[in-house]
Amino acid sequence: MTPLTDEQIDHIVADLYAHGIRLEGLRDNLLDHICILVEEKLEAGGDFERVYATVIPTFYRRELYELEEEALFLESLRGPHLVLSRGWFFVLAFALVLAPWLAYFAQWFFFERPVINIPYALDAIGWAVALDVYPLLTVIILFLTPNRFDPLIPWGSKILLGLKPLIRVLSQPAII
Amino acid sequence: MVYSTELLKGTLKTIVLKLLADNKKMYGYEITQRVKELTQDKIQITEGALYPTLHSLEADGLVTTETEYIGKRVRKYYSLSVAGKTRAKEKVSELASFVQTMTLLLDLKPKAI
Repeated sequence: MTPLTDEQIDHIVADLYAHGIRLEGLRDNLLDHICILVEEKLEAGGDFERVYATVIPTFYRRELYELEEEALFLESLRGPHLVLSRGWFFVLAFALVLAPWLAYFAQWFFFERPVINIPYALDAIGWAVALDVYPLLTVIILFLTPNRFDPLIPWGSKILLGLKPLIRVLSQPAII
Repeated sequence: MVYSTELLKGTLKTIVLKLLADNKKMYGYEITQRVKELTQDKIQITEGALYPTLHSLEADGLVTTETEYIGKRVRKYYSLSVAGKTRAKEKVSELASFVQTMTLLLDLKPKAI
């Protein structure tokens, strides 16, 4: 057996990560399995790059990320489900965040700012707008972040929207 | 003859649980090789099916893991938890009953592998 060097192992780890394998346990398993296969083939002759390029496609049909998708899907089958699909979640999230703004501008547009007569109405609206910016930015970031890059979602966004498990559930196929 | 993926998909958890019940602890590559060996290459578990299944079994608390460092890489060994041992028996029994029913349904006579 030809043991792989630390640089070659680092290369495989980086490649797995680049192909969307984010689950640490899954990545460890794949790394070990790939290393065994590559070491076996290197024993028969050949260089690392060429052997690695022949081994890695045997792990998937379309792309490597489907292993992680499958793992997450199987995990999602247990326990309670979130009843909203990712699409519906964002529709509701945007509606919730944007509704007060739209309501205010509708009032202003159709009824010539009737809220001006309510004490502290403008202050309240100003604060509402200011406090709405962070949730709105968070929802936009989540919306624009592909499922596979979930770990890149800022930590603050995960706290705001219900921690990592919720984001993971949201990346699953629609249940309704 | 290598069996189709569709045929094997519903039995993969049972296969893995049974192997872990018969062997104290195993790692992924070892499982694939053991299955090939026991079935004389008729069943080949793909990595794409095995690792998501192991991940799911771990998430369900049916297997426990321990890691061994081999230089820079980590090898994950799987073994059955208490719940896993019970589930392994249930799954094997369920599959045996299913095979028996299919034998009757399709009017098959059992053959040696």
